Amino acid sequence: MSLAKIFSVSTRVRASGACGVLRHAQYSTEGKTEKVYPPNVPGFKYVNGEFQDMSMTEMSNRAAQTLFWTELARGFAVTLAHIFKEPATINYPFEKGPLSPRFRGEHALRRYPSGEERCIACKLCEAICPAQAITIEAEERKDGSRRTTRYDIDMTKCIYCGFCQEACPVDAIVEGPNFEFSTETHEELLYNKEKLLSNGDKWESEIASNIRADHLYR
Amino acid sequence: MSVAKLLALDKVAKLFNIIKQNGGIRASLYKLYKQEELKDGVLVGEDKFGNKYYENPRYFYSRNRWVEYSEKVHLNYDASQVPAEWYGWLHYKTDLPPHQDPSRPHYKWMAEFTENLSGTTGQYTPYSTTRAKIEPWVPKPKTGA
Repeated sequence: MSLAKIFSVSTRVRASGACGVLRHAQYSTEGKTEKVYPPNVPGFKYVNGEFQDMSMTEMSNRAAQTLFWTELARGFAVTLAHIFKEPATINYPFEKGPLSPRFRGEHALRRYPSGEERCIACKLCEAICPAQAITIEAEERKDGSRRTTRYDIDMTKCIYCGFCQEACPVDAIVEGPNFEFSTETHEELLYNKEKLLSNGDKWESEIASNIRADHLYR
Repeated sequence: MSVAKLLALDKVAKLFNIIKQNGGIRASLYKLYKQEELKDGVLVGEDKFGNKYYENPRYFYSRNRWVEYSEKVHLNYDASQVPAEWYGWLHYKTDLPPHQDPSRPHYKWMAEFTENLSGTTGQYTPYSTTRAKIEPWVPKPKTGA
């Protein structure tokens, strides 16, 4: 197929498409016996698309034209446009997505403002934990208060349901805002009491802000 | 619509403005290499580790706040290097940066923030915080015979 033919086909298609409204009048005046579709009926206007010649040659010509010329150019145009578009993704870790104050991330054990640890070893969190990820052992401390000696959370068992922080009567165990605590080994995720308390000391600023942001719903 | 806007000349001007704000072509290329993106914005604050926090509401929500990690870490930046004080602001929980938020607690027992230390010598290793329940029997060495 020569270039000239492709262009001649394209001009013909465009011209007939543009003057579709005039077709009715054209047919009525000419009165040729040539078989036309839609049939020439007075008071009837065919509003659908142009009927196309469905012979094999014409069909393959149309397909070739669409494939090799218009589609290719339009594809390049789309590609070029997307280069200059603002991306729909965020550039993590420089930009971060919005997060709720109720977000349930890494666990932490909190302290009172005096520095005294909050946990009183009531074991409600251990009882409610559906994954049985929490292990607690308690003993009497020297000053007579009841405290935990062991507070272990297996973070690989934990399903981050948040039942532990809901069960806690003294707001000691909380699921903090942090979700960037991935580790290289499994054993680093077997948290003990010291690790949980140090999480609390590290994140207290954000944990306290989250609790205050949500205080009307608690 | 003006002709300049029709030809997207305002976008070109914006590009030059961004390059100027980032400190020239050399500095812009370095920033592109480090952050894969070049943006203009207002410096909102800086934390004690040297990370700088920027904002520009022209970008859409969740792209309009960002952090530029400290020069000290160079390419070893990590998402967990954002300290707890700035965490809420960067995650759009609050519009108040920490130095303008009077209700943030400052207790003396609060610990220094550390990044995720997994894979370094400072990583956490689990250990038991109680005495073992079962102690192995160590037979007494026989005396005399």
